[in-house]
Amino acid sequence: MVDFDPAIINKTFETTEPVPVSRDRIAKFCEAIGETNPLFTDDEGAKKGPYGGVIAPPSFATTFRNGRHFFEHVPRFGRRGFDAGKDVEFVAPIRPGDEITLSSAVKEIYDKTGRSGTMVFVVIRSTLRNQQGEIVAHIDHRFMNRP
Amino acid sequence: MKFADVQIGSAIGPEEIFISKDQTRMYARSNHLDAARFTDDEGAKKEGLPGMILPGNMSLALLTKLVTDWIADNPARMVRLGTTYRVPVQPDHTLTLQGFITNTYPETKQCEIDIWIENEEAERLVTGTATVEFSQ
Repeated sequence: MVDFDPAIINKTFETTEPVPVSRDRIAKFCEAIGETNPLFTDDEGAKKGPYGGVIAPPSFATTFRNGRHFFEHVPRFGRRGFDAGKDVEFVAPIRPGDEITLSSAVKEIYDKTGRSGTMVFVVIRSTLRNQQGEIVAHIDHRFMNRP
Repeated sequence: MKFADVQIGSAIGPEEIFISKDQTRMYARSNHLDAARFTDDEGAKKEGLPGMILPGNMSLALLTKLVTDWIADNPARMVRLGTTYRVPVQPDHTLTLQGFITNTYPETKQCEIDIWIENEEAERLVTGTATVEFSQ
């Protein structure tokens, strides 16, 4: 059973400054992953689509950086942790002109014993909001530590 | 394609892609990821890696693209994606992306899709589960 202060759970430890989403930033992201879907790349074509204009690909939500003090608040157990994966809930599209802020909190800490020994997982939930305060995505970052 | 057309067991992909080191650097730089493991072999080796690797979020983006390509212009959207990074993904290799539908939920018009990235040796490097919701 992993030992930690339960008071840290769900307590927001950092909120970033708003980050503007430019059309150019979306275009560069699309280019880097080979994205050609008109919904994400073609201003004219996307106007006839379900969102009335270009939106960012869903995975664009993962490109917003956490705050400068993010890692100071990620509890560590033993050796250096590493990124074990992510769970992303896509709530609303991100559009050019949006300004996105991230708020982060420790969501969960648990241990697991597998063939390679015991691992401690720290899950940090980052909530992304646009300039209207609407939630656009939740991202759960799973960090794995070996005690 | 509507929700009624989605069948458990149906395959998505496979899609073969070649991700170059330059493309990996482009992704890393455009997302302000300045760690050497994403941009240069020597720096990556100093961290104990065999060479440059793709950022985890780039693998996540490639799997997302597999699903959004499958959705195309059908009345649906991806609502959730979970990924597990099992083995570092290296550039300058041919990667295969694929998946299959594992569950359908008529009450919410959602389906679940198991997806993964594998290397030339059919080793699964990144695995995930996507949820897609249909409006029709």
